[in-house]
Amino acid sequence: MSKKNAFKTTGLMKELMANYYAKGVEAKKNGIPVAWVTAVFPVELLYAAGLFPYYPENFGAMAGARKVANQLSEVAETKGYFNDLCAYARCGIGDAYADEHPVGKIIKPDLLLCCNTQCGSLPKWFEAAGRFYNAPYFLLDSPQIVEQPDQLCKQYFVDQLKEMVSFIEEITGKPYDYDRLSEVLALSNEACRLWNEILDSAALKPAPFGFFDACFHMAPIVTWRGTPEAVTYYRALKDEVDERLNKGVYAIPDERYKIYFDHIPVWPKLRWFSDLFANHGALVVASQYTHSWAYSFDLNRPLESLAENYTEQFVNRSFNYRIQLKINFMEKYGVDGFVLFSNRSCKPNAFGLYDKHKVISQKTGLPGVVFDADMSDLRFFSENQVKTRLETFFEQLS
Amino acid sequence: MITSQLISYFNETINDHDRFVEQWKRTSGGKVIGFLLTDVPEELIHAAGFFPYGICGSNVGQERVDAHLQNWACSLVRSSFALALQGRLDFLDGLIIPQTCDTTRMVSGIWKHARPLPLMENYLLPRQVDRPSARTYLVGELTRLKGRLENYRGTVITNDEISKSISLYNSNRKLLRRIFSLHEQNPECISNRNLYALIRAALIMPREILNDHLRQLVDALQQDCQSSSAAAQTRLIISGSVIEPLEILDYIDQAGGVVVGDDLQNGWRYIEADVRESGDPLEALADYQINRIPFAAYDTVSNPRRHFLVHLASQKQAQGVIFLHLKYCETENYDYYDNMQAFNKISIPTLRIETEFGGSSMGQLSTRVQAFMEMVGGEV
Ligand code: SF4
Ligand code: SF4
Repeated sequence: MSKKNAFKTTGLMKELMANYYAKGVEAKKNGIPVAWVTAVFPVELLYAAGLFPYYPENFGAMAGARKVANQLSEVAETKGYFNDLCAYARCGIGDAYADEHPVGKIIKPDLLLCCNTQCGSLPKWFEAAGRFYNAPYFLLDSPQIVEQPDQLCKQYFVDQLKEMVSFIEEITGKPYDYDRLSEVLALSNEACRLWNEILDSAALKPAPFGFFDACFHMAPIVTWRGTPEAVTYYRALKDEVDERLNKGVYAIPDERYKIYFDHIPVWPKLRWFSDLFANHGALVVASQYTHSWAYSFDLNRPLESLAENYTEQFVNRSFNYRIQLKINFMEKYGVDGFVLFSNRSCKPNAFGLYDKHKVISQKTGLPGVVFDADMSDLRFFSENQVKTRLETFFEQLS
Repeated sequence: MITSQLISYFNETINDHDRFVEQWKRTSGGKVIGFLLTDVPEELIHAAGFFPYGICGSNVGQERVDAHLQNWACSLVRSSFALALQGRLDFLDGLIIPQTCDTTRMVSGIWKHARPLPLMENYLLPRQVDRPSARTYLVGELTRLKGRLENYRGTVITNDEISKSISLYNSNRKLLRRIFSLHEQNPECISNRNLYALIRAALIMPREILNDHLRQLVDALQQDCQSSSAAAQTRLIISGSVIEPLEILDYIDQAGGVVVGDDLQNGWRYIEADVRESGDPLEALADYQINRIPFAAYDTVSNPRRHFLVHLASQKQAQGVIFLHLKYCETENYDYYDNMQAFNKISIPTLRIETEFGGSSMGQLSTRVQAFMEMVGGEV
């Protein structure tokens, strides 16, 4: 991901994302309800209803990438929110109370729709935001799948989707349009398919595309999934990846190792990490994070299929499933080692990594390392410590 | 027995709880199913013939936990897990973990991996309770859990058994509520510290033994506590996840405060309501859960926690509120600002105290409680 190697499509992505925020602001002006949603949320239902979905987590990631997470967090901290909370939430809450908006103002919600598949932080943050903005809050509750998916939890989720459809109908004053939902689901399927084909190219050796590229290019699959824009975008990106392959342009100049990385990147240090790995001839090729947008909906059973796709995500799975999933990725991409990021912001992904590290090493014989930091807040990042840990890991590779 | 003897009995039991359980196990030959706080349907475990034992954290060292769980997990879970890793929960035959926050949700797999037990289950209670889907799901989840318990014991659990357990638990809650109200009227008769010690004991004692002693205590207290000393006391509410450390109650006692309500998992919230004794028992358990006092893991839309707290404070004529938070407990922290504001609006002073199992500085705690009490007491 060195600068000279940047993707042409990056320009298109920036345009698309600027467009996304502009659309949100416009929606506000035109009286289209803005619904806050969470990353792993059946957003297709909203696009089909003509609501504008806004992702405050994306706002938090942006604040992290632009190195202002601490600044926004400190505003939240003066109110009594502690720096132990998820940094996305601290940035969102901080921005609500702040006078200065270094990443632009977070768009105010008319309603807040939260799915807790990912974590328990989001509902708490959305509840607080609901009080602050005085907007109605709706929780799609997804109990953890401890072993196999079962009918009880699936039916519970389907029942709630129906409750949510009624809630949306009340807000829009219109009966829900299921035909439109089918179209949106088909668009989502297509964007996810393209995205995963792109991700798969990281298995080639050498590869034209890696995890750090994916972090750059994933915003549209999160925010525009279900629209023609996402499909157009990932078609263009896919073409570019193919073109690179033909020309022999690779993600890093001298790929010697492939690495699995868990989970979210350290946003304000994205370049630092990608350079560090590249300098060691190591390409990060997969992460359960970038790979989680791999939905495949059955248009004939829209609600059931939404329930399956959104509740059976790895973020809602237990210890053993997550270990197996990581190992599957490691095998599929033929990695030489793995790096696990114990992210202070994200308890649901960080807790358990110490034991997982041991189990995976035992099962695969691969070298691995766990490092501690925060995905957004540089107050919890010790460059020396992380570097030392990773250097030791790189030595084990060779 | 007289009041003081009974109170000592309860205090000794909580101080020496592992010995107590081990002895119970030896003499009864029964099985112990542990659970993490909170809201696990103890009646169902009891109906299966097992002794549900609430693991409430501890002050023993947490060093062994570091290899498994980051030090920014709350000390309630860390110190409970520490007990298991040190072999101090070896009397358990099973463990049920309610998934109320990310920490409990994640520790479940780690615990199972590091310290497996014959029966390990999660209690996947719904996190929204305002819509009809929640109740249907919860009845299903209780049925599932019942199935797992049946599997473990080898025979079905009958409705009759569940109903009997519900009555037993109700009678226990009634006794504790009776003592709570005696405490409110006459805190000199039963102090804050001793009252909460009883509730803590309830989490770790078989109900049959507990009820027997509680009945004697109610009789003794009714004789001893004819007068009322409440008027001279400063009325307080405590809000948080658990009472920790218990010493904080001593400081409130010493400063002339009486705790008149809380939303704690091992306080008033634990004993406040009963389970319906008619109709389908699983449905009754589900309704009980859905209507419980809101806490940080579900702040309901129809009864928001801050409204509940404000209502409780005005109903009990509280003069001050102590937020007793555990370090790294995110769910509490997300609620704090708005809860505090809600009390600001009605001019009830609040104090936030952050504690940690095994890590609280008593001197500081005592000074802060005292200073707050002087301020609040001055306003009577
Ligand atoms: S980073 Fe983790 S805790 Fe924060 S919103 Fe995402 S899943 Fe939740
Ligand atoms: S709710 Fe808070 S105190 Fe309770 S287990 Fe979760 S983090 Fe710990």
